[in-house]
Amino acid sequence: MDRTSVISDLNPIFQDVLDLPDLRLEPGSNAQSVEGWDSLAHVNLVVAIEKHYRIKFALGELQTLKNVGEMADLIKKKLGKQ
Amino acid sequence: MNEYRWADLALGKSARFDAVVTEDRMRQFAQLSGDVNPLHLDDEFARARGFPSRVAFGLLTSSFYSTLVGVYLPGRWALLHGLDIDFKALAFVGERLTIVGEIAHMSDAYRRIDLKASIVNSLGKTVSKATIRVGVHEP
Repeated sequence: MDRTSVISDLNPIFQDVLDLPDLRLEPGSNAQSVEGWDSLAHVNLVVAIEKHYRIKFALGELQTLKNVGEMADLIKKKLGKQ
Repeated sequence: MNEYRWADLALGKSARFDAVVTEDRMRQFAQLSGDVNPLHLDDEFARARGFPSRVAFGLLTSSFYSTLVGVYLPGRWALLHGLDIDFKALAFVGERLTIVGEIAHMSDAYRRIDLKASIVNSLGKTVSKATIRVGVHEP
Protein backbone atom coordinates (compact mmCIF):
# COMPACT_ATOMS: atom_id res chain seq x y z
CA MET A 1 0.00 0.00 0.00
CA ASP A 2 1.55 3.34 -1.01
CA ARG A 3 1.13 6.75 0.60
CA THR A 4 -1.63 7.86 -1.80
CA SER A 5 -3.67 4.70 -1.16
CA VAL A 6 -3.37 5.17 2.60
CA ILE A 7 -4.54 8.78 2.29
CA SER A 8 -7.51 7.64 0.16
CA ASP A 9 -8.25 5.10 2.86
CA LEU A 10 -8.06 7.76 5.56
CA ASN A 11 -10.37 10.14 3.72
CA PRO A 12 -13.69 8.52 4.76
CA ILE A 13 -12.44 8.14 8.33
CA PHE A 14 -11.68 11.87 8.52
CA GLN A 15 -14.98 12.72 6.80
CA ASP A 16 -16.87 10.68 9.38
CA VAL A 17 -15.01 11.81 12.52
CA LEU A 18 -14.91 15.49 11.54
CA ASP A 19 -18.38 15.38 10.00
CA LEU A 20 -17.08 16.90 6.77
CA PRO A 21 -18.59 14.84 3.93
CA ASP A 22 -16.85 16.93 1.26
CA LEU A 23 -13.39 16.79 2.81
CA ARG A 24 -10.61 15.80 0.43
CA LEU A 25 -7.38 15.03 2.25
CA GLU A 26 -4.03 15.88 0.73
CA PRO A 27 -0.56 14.92 1.95
CA GLY A 28 -0.13 18.41 3.39
CA SER A 29 -3.48 18.51 5.21
CA ASN A 30 -3.06 19.21 8.92
CA ALA A 31 -4.89 20.48 11.99
CA GLN A 32 -4.46 24.08 10.83
CA SER A 33 -5.86 23.53 7.35
CA VAL A 34 -8.76 21.18 8.14
CA GLU A 35 -11.83 22.65 9.80
CA GLY A 36 -12.75 21.16 13.18
CA TRP A 37 -9.51 19.22 13.66
CA ASP A 38 -9.08 20.19 17.33
CA SER A 39 -7.56 18.23 20.19
CA LEU A 40 -10.63 16.08 20.89
CA ALA A 41 -11.15 15.42 17.18
CA HIS A 42 -7.49 14.43 17.00
CA VAL A 43 -7.97 11.77 19.70
CA ASN A 44 -11.08 10.54 17.88
CA LEU A 45 -9.15 10.36 14.60
CA VAL A 46 -6.25 8.44 16.12
CA VAL A 47 -8.54 5.91 17.80
CA ALA A 48 -10.60 5.48 14.62
CA ILE A 49 -7.40 4.89 12.60
CA GLU A 50 -6.12 2.38 15.18
CA LYS A 51 -9.37 0.45 14.96
CA HIS A 52 -9.53 0.60 11.19
CA TYR A 53 -6.03 -0.82 10.66
CA ARG A 54 -5.85 -2.81 13.92
CA ILE A 55 -2.66 -1.03 14.86
CA LYS A 56 -1.51 0.84 17.96
CA PHE A 57 0.27 4.17 18.08
CA ALA A 58 2.59 5.38 20.80
CA LEU A 59 2.22 9.00 21.83
CA GLY A 60 5.82 9.76 20.85
CA GLU A 61 5.18 8.58 17.28
CA LEU A 62 2.22 10.91 16.89
CA GLN A 63 3.74 14.03 18.40
CA THR A 64 6.28 14.40 15.61
CA LEU A 65 3.79 14.11 12.74
CA LYS A 66 3.29 17.30 10.76
CA ASN A 67 0.54 16.33 8.35
CA VAL A 68 -1.62 13.58 6.88
CA GLY A 69 1.19 12.49 4.54
CA GLU A 70 3.45 11.73 7.50
CA MET A 71 0.59 9.95 9.25
CA ALA A 72 0.14 7.82 6.12
CA ASP A 73 3.86 7.00 6.13
CA LEU A 74 3.68 5.91 9.77
CA ILE A 75 0.65 3.72 9.06
CA LYS A 76 2.48 2.18 6.06
CA LYS A 77 5.45 1.42 8.28
CA LYS A 78 3.29 -0.19 10.95
CA LEU A 79 1.37 -2.28 8.44
CA GLY A 80 4.65 -3.44 6.92
CA LYS A 81 5.75 -4.81 10.29
CA GLN A 82 2.59 -6.89 10.84
CA MET B 1 -15.70 7.07 43.85
CA ASN B 2 -13.21 4.84 42.05
CA GLU B 3 -9.86 6.35 41.13
CA TYR B 4 -8.57 3.98 38.45
CA ARG B 5 -5.48 5.14 36.67
CA TRP B 6 -4.39 4.01 33.22
CA ALA B 7 -2.14 1.29 34.63
CA ASP B 8 -5.09 -0.17 36.59
CA LEU B 9 -7.26 -0.59 33.50
CA ALA B 10 -7.44 -3.58 31.16
CA LEU B 11 -9.69 -4.93 28.45
CA GLY B 12 -12.69 -6.63 30.03
CA LYS B 13 -12.55 -4.66 33.27
CA SER B 14 -16.11 -3.90 34.26
CA ALA B 15 -18.31 -2.04 36.71
CA ARG B 16 -21.98 -2.15 37.70
CA PHE B 17 -24.35 -0.32 39.99
CA ASP B 18 -28.09 0.09 40.53
CA ALA B 19 -30.15 3.26 40.33
CA VAL B 20 -33.86 3.93 40.78
CA VAL B 21 -35.95 6.25 38.58
CA THR B 22 -37.49 8.10 41.50
CA GLU B 23 -40.27 10.69 41.47
CA ASP B 24 -37.76 13.22 42.68
CA ARG B 25 -35.33 12.50 39.84
CA MET B 26 -38.17 12.82 37.30
CA ARG B 27 -39.22 16.17 38.74
CA GLN B 28 -35.68 17.48 38.87
CA PHE B 29 -34.92 16.31 35.33
CA ALA B 30 -38.02 18.09 33.97
CA GLN B 31 -36.90 21.24 35.74
CA LEU B 32 -33.30 20.94 34.64
CA SER B 33 -33.95 20.10 31.00
CA GLY B 34 -37.16 22.01 30.43
CA ASP B 35 -38.69 18.90 28.87
CA VAL B 36 -42.23 19.09 30.21
CA ASN B 37 -43.80 16.64 27.79
CA PRO B 38 -46.81 15.12 29.59
CA LEU B 39 -45.79 11.59 28.60
CA HIS B 40 -43.23 11.92 31.40
CA LEU B 41 -45.25 13.97 33.86
CA ASP B 42 -48.92 13.05 33.54
CA ASP B 43 -50.06 9.48 34.25
CA GLU B 44 -53.46 10.04 32.68
CA PHE B 45 -51.92 11.31 29.46
CA ALA B 46 -49.50 8.36 29.38
CA ARG B 47 -52.28 5.81 29.94
CA ALA B 48 -54.45 7.40 27.25
CA ARG B 49 -51.58 6.78 24.87
CA GLY B 50 -51.43 3.11 25.83
CA PHE B 51 -48.57 3.16 28.34
CA PRO B 52 -48.99 1.63 31.82
CA SER B 53 -47.77 4.85 33.46
CA ARG B 54 -45.51 7.83 32.88
CA VAL B 55 -42.46 7.00 30.81
CA ALA B 56 -39.07 7.81 32.30
CA PHE B 57 -37.07 10.41 30.39
CA GLY B 58 -34.66 8.56 28.10
CA LEU B 59 -31.93 11.03 28.89
CA LEU B 60 -32.54 10.71 32.61
CA THR B 61 -31.86 6.97 32.47
CA SER B 62 -28.95 7.68 30.13
CA SER B 63 -27.52 10.13 32.63
CA PHE B 64 -26.51 7.04 34.59
CA TYR B 65 -23.93 6.43 31.86
CA SER B 66 -22.33 9.64 33.09
CA THR B 67 -22.30 8.17 36.61
CA LEU B 68 -20.81 4.95 35.28
CA VAL B 69 -17.90 6.85 33.78
CA GLY B 70 -17.41 9.60 36.32
CA VAL B 71 -17.81 7.53 39.47
CA TYR B 72 -17.14 3.87 38.64
CA LEU B 73 -15.06 3.26 35.52
CA PRO B 74 -12.60 4.86 35.51
CA GLY B 75 -14.00 7.30 38.08
CA ARG B 76 -12.14 10.35 39.33
CA TRP B 77 -9.82 10.88 36.34
CA ALA B 78 -12.48 10.44 33.63
CA LEU B 79 -13.30 12.90 30.90
CA LEU B 80 -16.26 11.91 28.74
CA HIS B 81 -15.33 12.21 25.04
CA GLY B 82 -18.58 10.95 23.56
CA LEU B 83 -21.27 8.33 23.55
CA ASP B 84 -23.70 6.61 21.23
CA ILE B 85 -26.92 5.38 22.77
CA ASP B 86 -29.62 3.11 21.38
CA PHE B 87 -32.86 2.80 23.29
CA LYS B 88 -34.26 -0.72 23.38
CA ALA B 89 -37.20 -0.52 25.79
CA LEU B 90 -39.08 2.02 27.86
CA ALA B 91 -38.34 2.56 31.53
CA PHE B 92 -40.99 3.70 34.01
CA VAL B 93 -41.06 5.76 37.17
CA GLY B 94 -40.15 3.69 40.22
CA GLU B 95 -38.08 1.12 38.30
CA ARG B 96 -34.74 -0.07 39.60
CA LEU B 97 -32.17 -0.16 36.82
CA THR B 98 -28.79 -1.86 36.67
CA ILE B 99 -26.06 -0.04 34.77
CA VAL B 100 -23.12 -2.10 33.55
CA GLY B 101 -20.04 -1.21 31.55
CA GLU B 102 -16.98 -3.05 30.32
CA ILE B 103 -13.78 -1.84 28.66
CA ALA B 104 -13.90 -2.95 25.03
CA HIS B 105 -11.02 -0.94 23.58
CA MET B 106 -7.96 0.85 24.91
CA SER B 107 -5.86 3.35 23.03
CA ASP B 108 -2.53 3.95 24.79
CA ALA B 109 -1.46 6.97 22.76
CA TYR B 110 -4.03 9.34 24.25
CA ARG B 111 -5.22 7.13 27.13
CA ARG B 112 -8.68 6.65 25.79
CA ILE B 113 -10.99 3.75 26.58
CA ASP B 114 -14.21 2.65 24.91
CA LEU B 115 -16.83 1.11 27.15
CA LYS B 116 -19.61 -1.18 26.00
CA ALA B 117 -22.40 -0.36 28.38
CA SER B 118 -26.03 -1.17 28.96
CA ILE B 119 -28.92 -0.42 31.26
CA VAL B 120 -31.17 -3.31 32.24
CA ASN B 121 -34.41 -3.21 34.24
CA SER B 122 -35.30 -5.51 37.14
CA LEU B 123 -36.94 -7.99 34.74
CA GLY B 124 -33.70 -8.34 32.82
CA LYS B 125 -34.94 -6.34 29.84
CA THR B 126 -32.41 -4.06 28.18
CA VAL B 127 -33.49 -0.41 28.36
CA SER B 128 -30.55 0.93 26.36
CA LYS B 129 -27.12 0.09 25.06
CA ALA B 130 -24.25 2.49 24.64
CA THR B 131 -20.73 2.84 23.40
CA ILE B 132 -18.94 5.36 25.59
CA ARG B 133 -15.62 7.02 24.78
CA VAL B 134 -13.68 8.18 27.81
CA GLY B 135 -10.33 9.83 28.30
CA VAL B 136 -8.29 9.02 31.40
CA HIS B 137 -6.70 12.29 32.44
CA GLU B 138 -4.77 11.39 35.55
CA PRO B 139 -2.25 13.89 36.92
